[in-house]
Amino acid sequence: MSAAPPSIGVNGRPVALEEVPGDERLLDTLRWRLGLRGTKEGCRTGECGACTVLVNGEGRLSCLALAHELEGTEVTTVEALHQDPVGRAVQEAFAEEAALQCGYCTPGFVVALTGLLRGDGPPRPTPELLAALGGNLCRCTGYASIARAVERARTRLR
Amino acid sequence: MSRAGRPDAETKLRGAVEFGTDLAVPGMRWGVLVLAPAAHGRIRRVDLSAARALPSVVAIGADDVGPLVGGAKGDPDRPPFPSREIVYRSQPIAAVAAPSLAAAREAAKAVRVEVDAEPAVADLERLFPEWPGPQARASPQVAAHVLAHRGNVDRALAEAETVVAETYRTAGIHQVALEPHACVAEVTGDRWTVRTSTQSPFGVREDVASILGIPEASIDVEGTWVGGGFGGKGASMLEPYALLLARAAGAPVRLALTYREEFLLGRSTLPAVVRLETGVRSGRIVARRVRLLLDVGTSLPGRDFATGYAIGFLLGPYRTDAFEVEGFAVRTNKPPFGPHRAPLAPQAAFVAESHLAAVARAVGQDPEAFRADHLWADGSTTPLGQRVGPFGLAAALAGARARAAAWRAELPAGHGVGIGLGFWSTGTGAGGEARLRLDDRELVVEQGEREIGSGSVLIGLAEVAARRTGLPRERIRVNYLGTATAPFDAGVFGSRTVGALGRAVDDAAGSLLADLGRRMGEVGPVTLALEGDGLVARGPGVTRPLAELLTPHERATGGLRAAGRHYGVAGEIDASRVVEGGFYAYHDFTGAAHVAEVDVDPSTGGVQVVRYAAFQDVGAVLDRPAAQAQVEGGVVMGLGTALTEEAVWSDDGRLTNPGLLDYRIPRMPDVPPIEVVFVEGYPGAGPFGAKGLGEPPIIPVPATVAAAIEDATGAHLTELPLSPERLARALKAGRPSRSADAARRR
Repeated sequence: MSAAPPSIGVNGRPVALEEVPGDERLLDTLRWRLGLRGTKEGCRTGECGACTVLVNGEGRLSCLALAHELEGTEVTTVEALHQDPVGRAVQEAFAEEAALQCGYCTPGFVVALTGLLRGDGPPRPTPELLAALGGNLCRCTGYASIARAVERARTRLR
Repeated sequence: MSRAGRPDAETKLRGAVEFGTDLAVPGMRWGVLVLAPAAHGRIRRVDLSAARALPSVVAIGADDVGPLVGGAKGDPDRPPFPSREIVYRSQPIAAVAAPSLAAAREAAKAVRVEVDAEPAVADLERLFPEWPGPQARASPQVAAHVLAHRGNVDRALAEAETVVAETYRTAGIHQVALEPHACVAEVTGDRWTVRTSTQSPFGVREDVASILGIPEASIDVEGTWVGGGFGGKGASMLEPYALLLARAAGAPVRLALTYREEFLLGRSTLPAVVRLETGVRSGRIVARRVRLLLDVGTSLPGRDFATGYAIGFLLGPYRTDAFEVEGFAVRTNKPPFGPHRAPLAPQAAFVAESHLAAVARAVGQDPEAFRADHLWADGSTTPLGQRVGPFGLAAALAGARARAAAWRAELPAGHGVGIGLGFWSTGTGAGGEARLRLDDRELVVEQGEREIGSGSVLIGLAEVAARRTGLPRERIRVNYLGTATAPFDAGVFGSRTVGALGRAVDDAAGSLLADLGRRMGEVGPVTLALEGDGLVARGPGVTRPLAELLTPHERATGGLRAAGRHYGVAGEIDASRVVEGGFYAYHDFTGAAHVAEVDVDPSTGGVQVVRYAAFQDVGAVLDRPAAQAQVEGGVVMGLGTALTEEAVWSDDGRLTNPGLLDYRIPRMPDVPPIEVVFVEGYPGAGPFGAKGLGEPPIIPVPATVAAAIEDATGAHLTELPLSPERLARALKAGRPSRSADAARRR
């Protein structure tokens, strides 16, 4: 058994979990304990994707994860996404395609797409990426500009 | 054209803008509303004592409002909390605030509510299974009645060779802005301050003043970034409760809805039943009768806007000789009806278009040609007597028919192609004002609206200023001010932002240039430009640096100022045709013709839209990317209205699907390629001929999808949404009645 107090990494910084209640969702830890409110709260039931963060580089809905169950992992939120080359490319693609309107779903989309495009090997085909983003809801854009941004980001990272 | 992109892109992509849900201030308490446990009933007791016994909790109910507002009298018709009767399930009946959200939820649970439940009316057809007679106007269930006509409809129908009668039903829906309603309120002395996610800061101020009975001058409303509005954030919802809690707590209070509450409290489009009769003689429509039963929830008598608004759309953009339109706004035990992106117009267009197609088929004509033959012309008059100004609908339809023909030439089996039309009015008559401030570095537009996502504020207003002054958009900044310092504007709704507030900006820019012209010695028309890194004013043959034209006082106080205003032009209707009720006077008509190709799975009734084209009359395109995004977004939102979105209430007034799993909006994989074609050359009343574009693109979508489904399957569906269940049932019942429950021929 490790004697180290339980913690998670958030954007490269250790966060002790000692004072975090066992039933606290990662979403609330990020937003209200750490003040990282770039991660958006939408439905809190895993149906909208607005709260997507990266856990060890993979997309995860922070409303459905308890902070304690992620002990020892590294969490990346939208606030640190630009430090990741893939995240930066995704953000640039969204900006160039103006793939956002109100912006509420935007952090979830760019984080989720970053998770899908990270890692070794060539990026997945665009239709697969679009299908994989089916859990991220947007009510403003009709997804058209977002699909163009996905294609643009994918091409750039090929 | 300026291609400055979205000025808010970078901050939004970094999650760095503050929405209503993101607000937090030191020492803030968390508020929770206590919602009614029944859709209808008498309140026996609301006992707050157990909640109040919890540490650091405040709890308020109907009896506390008066003392909290110092005895002020709010509008007796809309008290924050009911004291006797509950009229819809989830109506707020008390509110609590505590130092944490968990503690506030605990306190809300501790509020004891005793209600003698009474029978609820949730279904307007249970109340009125048949068309109500004139005596129904006196019914307490009728919130409004509207009636207008021209000519003798009974006689014209009797003399028609063919009469087609149909009944249509459309569902209640929800805006589904991704950001739930949220605000933070604070009360200090007699200053009532609320920061809130709203489409109308001044509208919220007016509402709060009316509900709480305190003067507008005591209220400051500061808009946050808005995570989607779609009409749902146009009026106050949480602000009065947050302010009362803040007063009671002596501390700032955050009040936000959960997404489930967002559905439960939703004020949106409610169900409608429409009965139509259309008479045709010699291939021409000679008589139309349209009867609308509209569920308006718990809307107050006389406060119903929807019925007179919607009913004009049910006749469609078509000529007729004799007509009669009549509507009843029916009160039910649901939340009040509220605006939802082009309120009821997509539903009305679905009814009007599908019905006209049925009429065409009943007289052996091609539905598209028949509609084209009856279309309003540029400069013609609507049935209610309104003049149709420059109107691009015929041109849009011509484009749509050409596209449909091309798609039909290569149509796979099981697919169908359909066309739907829609129209809208973008002049609401609601006004606004704007100020400009110019120095040698930039032009600042100071105004009171937050960008809600459409781009109408940050892109639209900047583009208007850019075109008028000649400056590149990069040197124009649109600045938001709260109600304490902003010039008045009515709100970002009704597709009015560019058309009305934009004209105020245009007006201000004109004054600014005239002022500069005077300072330059009346050299003639003046424009602004960027030279090197500084701004200059140019007249014919003369260029002067801005810095030289400003007084020392202006240079020291932010620059040269100008103000502009535009109090919109409202339309007029022919009063001689109105028998009763408030009809909405449209103005500045815009039209659209859309084409869809669908692939129908006959075994499941599942519909996949495989491609889509929108021919959209917009007057003049001010910013192509933003305009295109509005059409793409409107079309996809309309696909939800067409195919999947339906709020389902139980007979006892319970919303059975208050969540995004059971209330399904379009997702990325559902969306077809969308071609956007703008029809220009039919200028509107907005700056540079622009017409509003927030609402129009959603309007033709359900009609278009229904026409494509009918083309693919022969199924003539008369209910929205066009769900797999409904389509499968229609297909199972055999080649369904193409035209209607009763087409009779003589």
